[in-house]
Amino acid sequence: MNCNSHLFQNLTEAAKLALTRRQFFGRGRNALGAAALGSLLGDGLTRAFASDAGGLPNLPHFPPKAKRVIYLHMVGGPSQMDLYDYKPEMAKMYDKDLPDSIRQGQRLTTMTSKQARFPVAPSKYKFAQAGQCGLWMNTELLPWTAKCVDDMAFIRSMHTDAINHEPAICEMQTGSQIGGRPCIGSWLSYGLGSMNQNLPTFVVLVAKPTNNEQNQAISGRLWSSGFIPGEHSGVSFRSSGDPILFINNPTGVTKEMRRRQLDGIREMNEMTFKEIGDPETQVRISQYEMAFRMQASVPELTDLSGEPSETFELYGEEARKPGSFANSVLMARRLTERGVRFVQIYHNNWDHHSNVGGRMPDQCRDVDQASYALINDLKQRGMFEDTLIIWGGEFGRTIYSQGGLTTTNYGRDHHPRCFTMWMAGGGVKPGTIYGETDDFSYNVVKDPVHVHDFHATVLHLLGLDHERFTYRAQGLDFKLTGVEHAKVVKALLA
Amino acid sequence: MKSPALFPLTFAALALAASAETKIDFNRDVRPILSDKCFACHGFDPKNRKADRRLDTPEGALAEIEGIRAIVPGSLEKSDAWQRINSTDKDEVMPTPKSHKTLNAAEKDVLKRWIEQGAHYQKHWAFEAPQRAVTSEVKDKAWVRNPIDGFVLAQLESAGLKPAPEADRRTLARRLSLDLIGLPPTPEQVAAFVKDEAPDAYEKYVAKLMTSPQWGEHRGRYWLDAARYADTHGLHFDKYREIWPYRDWVISAFNRNQPFDQFTVEQLAGDLLPKPTREQLIATGFHRCNATTNEGGTIDEENMANYATDRVTTTSWVWLGLTANCASCHDHKFDPITQKDFYSMAAFFRNTSQPPKDGNVKDTKPVIYLPSDKDEKRFAELPGEITSGKKVLAERRTPAAKDFEQWITTAKAEQVEVSPDALALRLPLEEGAGVDVKAESFEQEVTFKAAGPIEWHEGGKFGNAPKFTNGAHFQLGDLAAINHDQPFSVGAWVNVPANFKEGAIVARLDDRKGLQGWELFAQANKFGARLATAQPAAQINVVSKNPTVRAGIWQHVLVTYDGSGTAAGFRIFIDGKPQPGVTTGAPLKTSAVAAVPLRVGQRETKTRFEGGRVQDVRVYLRELTTGEARSLPDERNLRAAFAAAPEKRSPAQKASLLNFYIDNLDGPSIEMAYHIEALEEEDQAIRDRSTVSHIQEEKAGPAMAAVLIRGAYDKEGEQVEAAAFSALNPLPANAPKNRLGLAQWLVAPENPLAARVTVNRFWQEIFGTGIVKTAEDFGSQGEVPSHPALLDWLAVEFRESGWDVKKLFTLLVTSSAYRQSAVTTPQKLEKDPQNRLFSRGPRFRMDAEMVRDYALAASGTLSLKMGGPGTRPYQPENVWEVVGMGTERYAQDKGENLYRRTVYNFWKRMAPPASMEVFNAPSRESCVVRRERTNTPLQALVTLNDPQFVEAGRRLAEAAMKENADQSAAISQIAERVLLRPLKPAENEVVNKTLHDLEADFAAHEDAAKAYIAIGETKPDPALPAPRLAALAMIASQLLNLDEALNK
Repeated sequence: MNCNSHLFQNLTEAAKLALTRRQFFGRGRNALGAAALGSLLGDGLTRAFASDAGGLPNLPHFPPKAKRVIYLHMVGGPSQMDLYDYKPEMAKMYDKDLPDSIRQGQRLTTMTSKQARFPVAPSKYKFAQAGQCGLWMNTELLPWTAKCVDDMAFIRSMHTDAINHEPAICEMQTGSQIGGRPCIGSWLSYGLGSMNQNLPTFVVLVAKPTNNEQNQAISGRLWSSGFIPGEHSGVSFRSSGDPILFINNPTGVTKEMRRRQLDGIREMNEMTFKEIGDPETQVRISQYEMAFRMQASVPELTDLSGEPSETFELYGEEARKPGSFANSVLMARRLTERGVRFVQIYHNNWDHHSNVGGRMPDQCRDVDQASYALINDLKQRGMFEDTLIIWGGEFGRTIYSQGGLTTTNYGRDHHPRCFTMWMAGGGVKPGTIYGETDDFSYNVVKDPVHVHDFHATVLHLLGLDHERFTYRAQGLDFKLTGVEHAKVVKALLA
Repeated sequence: MKSPALFPLTFAALALAASAETKIDFNRDVRPILSDKCFACHGFDPKNRKADRRLDTPEGALAEIEGIRAIVPGSLEKSDAWQRINSTDKDEVMPTPKSHKTLNAAEKDVLKRWIEQGAHYQKHWAFEAPQRAVTSEVKDKAWVRNPIDGFVLAQLESAGLKPAPEADRRTLARRLSLDLIGLPPTPEQVAAFVKDEAPDAYEKYVAKLMTSPQWGEHRGRYWLDAARYADTHGLHFDKYREIWPYRDWVISAFNRNQPFDQFTVEQLAGDLLPKPTREQLIATGFHRCNATTNEGGTIDEENMANYATDRVTTTSWVWLGLTANCASCHDHKFDPITQKDFYSMAAFFRNTSQPPKDGNVKDTKPVIYLPSDKDEKRFAELPGEITSGKKVLAERRTPAAKDFEQWITTAKAEQVEVSPDALALRLPLEEGAGVDVKAESFEQEVTFKAAGPIEWHEGGKFGNAPKFTNGAHFQLGDLAAINHDQPFSVGAWVNVPANFKEGAIVARLDDRKGLQGWELFAQANKFGARLATAQPAAQINVVSKNPTVRAGIWQHVLVTYDGSGTAAGFRIFIDGKPQPGVTTGAPLKTSAVAAVPLRVGQRETKTRFEGGRVQDVRVYLRELTTGEARSLPDERNLRAAFAAAPEKRSPAQKASLLNFYIDNLDGPSIEMAYHIEALEEEDQAIRDRSTVSHIQEEKAGPAMAAVLIRGAYDKEGEQVEAAAFSALNPLPANAPKNRLGLAQWLVAPENPLAARVTVNRFWQEIFGTGIVKTAEDFGSQGEVPSHPALLDWLAVEFRESGWDVKKLFTLLVTSSAYRQSAVTTPQKLEKDPQNRLFSRGPRFRMDAEMVRDYALAASGTLSLKMGGPGTRPYQPENVWEVVGMGTERYAQDKGENLYRRTVYNFWKRMAPPASMEVFNAPSRESCVVRRERTNTPLQALVTLNDPQFVEAGRRLAEAAMKENADQSAAISQIAERVLLRPLKPAENEVVNKTLHDLEADFAAHEDAAKAYIAIGETKPDPALPAPRLAALAMIASQLLNLDEALNK
């Protein structure tokens, strides 16, 4: 049977590449079926691949400041008043009850809602001003971060709707407390597409904290593409075993043998295509080729032996240890360098219901130098200005102590009404301190930033108007920022 | 979900583009446009309606509001809507710029012609009852084998297309087998079919496949996606949930060809049928498959609201094809489903006894226990024996009370408490302040100092109680040195803090190098005890089977031990009541005495009872009786009751004293209590070793729910009764207002949706895309059917056949439409790019499970064993580790379970089988009625490198080598098994060349060859030369990776 191969002869090489790449990074069967073949080779195709990375044709909406994102999520919810939200008045309030005027009857988790008292636990840490911007912060546990605050923007007035981990992380990642929506990395993969030919667009690294006293569940649902096609899900890179599942050849099979085997597959698939004429066969041929390229590039990517000793001076020796936070951050730099659009790192054990004093030093040591290193490493590589770095958890913690309180130790429950995040790099106004909370770090008193506002701002930095960036599912045009009004926080923009 | 967001080429638009002159059809052409662009503000939802204008009804569109008429039939001039659509004024133009929606030229043209042609409205097609339409006239009548073909051909002819020729027998043999049982046929089956010259050869082949038990496995697999079946809870800890009997029930229901209406009723309401059978109860697992949580801080009401939402959403997608979930926060914007409708359906599902938290256990109530054949008889007898035992015990109370009256007149105070015999420690902890505490040991008083600053808190069991924070605890010296053969009992009043992980309450346990000694502990939500020896290292652990810790509440915990050195020697009592326990550990034979002091609040060095409170610690060097265990927590009441003057004793005090007498002193009662206890233990033991399945159970009282304002669990609005969706058929006249009535409503002949939605999904299984592409959404935002009359015909046929599933599938696969060759042409790609007109046979990549099963079947390694607990085949290390909270370890199976069908794979929701996800298998966290089908390089990595596939390739090569001396015959055999056809000469050349090169490579590196063929649990035959086998295994892998092999 004669086939449609002539259809493909009309494609330019670039469009062919875009077409095949689109199958991985784009929309699978529909893209080819409906678009390429429906309105074949008219303006449809050029429109479809105008953004040659395989994103949507009309995106970005405006010139982006950031091309890529490294998002450091602190799982469990770091205590804002022990790190960045300085509350000197609290020293006087030690072990006094949180006033009702502050608590305002707000709901609590069932872990402390039956507590007879809500005694204030002032932070035990030493705070000092850092940088030109003069941010008051925990310089005792975060000495490295203190050196680069003038590169960063702090939002002390974040707030969310959820009070427990599952729904809160879900909201932070997808804009909704209930699962099933696409996460932010998937949105960006879908909208903006890929910037490389042999690695995924969206990579996830789950770092192992030094201390594992109270980890929270982290699952594939957090990097799921929800109702957006599955190829936009995050690809989890593992710190042991194959970095990507099944990326390595089986033992005994060399690269050359694999090549020979794939050549045979390709030749026979081409025969099938000639006979049947199903465009998906062509796509499969190109996907097997891309798999081969990925197999070649991933070992090089994960092999740190080529990194000079300065790298480990910058990130610390910890960066040599597979799966550590410093190692993950270094991997994030290597991934973004190679064109990965979105790297999500999870760092666990920030859920300090008890023993803040015993756990905070390890937590901070894990992330402090690595964050500093990432900023400075990207700077020296000329990537800082178009890479957006995000740091933060899913909610904050209460000023009142959960469980026993002493001057040196205490626990803190979940607190959705305020928490601190920081951003740096791509389009972020450096040295910014935005938003304020009351003396108890309990309520936002100035410039609140809801999770949806935060998402709107991130999308803006990537050249996307959150109002117009939608996906049709179940008959609705879904947005990352949901149906409530969300705003871009202009004060955070450079 | 797939959606045409990028290229909104709906089927309607395609159809229209082809025929610009045809008459506008409201449902096909206009509704999709109005729905998408206008209904959000001018539709069904009154709260968000702008300018009081509806465009979803003719009354609304034609109404004159403040002198304005949106639509005037036949007049573009007078139709305000048309004027505003074309306005250049941004305050006037519609859709308003704020909506970010625009109308393109083609859409405007449709609206223009619709108004010109008289602006006729139709009710949305999906809400009208389906009618059995007559097929249109077709030219090529010979092509029509059954009515399906008439509908398909009519549309092909009007599009100017001809069907593809019939596929050859080999292709059909493979396609039918994959579609009907999900497995490839054997070369022998294909050969027999090809040779069969009987006129009904095709029908016979189909019928035979449908009687294979694999039919049910294959059909069931699709249903399990909809049922969101999995083997774990889904949220937070995501631990094991035992419900696989439900999965097996689904498979068996398809194999029995249970009529789909009964299949529906039993799953939604089997428990409400008269005298439900065990199978009907298991069937109700459908709505126990939803994801549940046990996260500590979550709020019960919120969890219950989420579960109900999931159930309404699932029911609505699966049976009605309606996105009812949109109505959880407000009236549906596009379809006539009110928010009240949503919560009225939720009421059906909220009237069940399921708790808000799953307890992280495998058998969250309500469950059914399924004892083995051996246990079944006793399991049936035991409840009766226990009941009659309890009756005897109760009857003994009257004579016992008489004896008691006698006894109490002479009793002494010390007789009315648990005997202090062998009391090694009594530590009241009632000082209320300071660091010195008093204790009693073998009638001696001793004083101890606390280690660390003890905090005394109000709200103790007895006055102020000590709280263990930041390392503070009590060190009690050389007391309670308990050996492995020493009976003992340890008890205390304890108060466990919320979110507690693990810690020792009372311990004499050396934890510096391994463990030696004993302890009473709390672990997450359970109490337990441990006894350990160091040389050799051995320990017994006993933990309550059910969650026993109630955070923030004072509880009395007692553990007794009979000195037997076995785990069975332990018993746990909470507040005097015996608890079933889970015991582990080998018999102890050496010393368990630790050379460390007794501590309250931690082990020797760590594992603290952080944040916990403790009072009245007791250690007895004897095993307390059940009666004593019951009396111990009641001791203070007893003492007060006894001290009171007899005439002043309250009824509660009298009862306390009488209970003490019956439990501890009345011989016949004690004997009967022992007897009952033994029966209960026997009953529990049977439950423990039985299979469990989750079921539904109705609560008493009418099914009611509150409308949740904006969907928020804590903002209750109007109370509503359980009811069916108001825009559809009413509940059948005699239907009860419970889940049974709901199920009957769904499958009532008047229901316009259930049959349509179901046949559409079946069509999708066979043809790849439904007649309605949006299988979950038949509403006005869903895609209109490509063949409306065909859909309706099939729906009526299905229902009138008695919802006969096999009969419907027979119709589908015996049609000419199905039998077409998949070969396409440029003309077809242009006019029918997605094969929505069925201008060629179905050809698409197989589902994840089929890809794996195919490799196993082709290689002859597939086990056809059916049913049972989830299997754990090969999986890379650490897939579970990242998500694990106590479930990090994936214990891979051995032997046969590595090669079972994928439908039996253990499904952990937070980390589904790694190779399945890559091929678009859903996580099973929520209902899926339509999978995606992507084509990515990660898929190539699975089929090339996953040990399951590598081993399958090698086994295939091994068999071919053993059975064929000749190399080319071996290659032919592999090809026949994988492709079910001989290789063509050109292919043969490619394969031979690859084989030649690879064999040379492997010969030069024999170690590599040996390594490659050693992959997998089965061992290669050492008699076969490694380089040849390895090269041939790579060839098998090459063929298994062909597009042809991966496609149906």
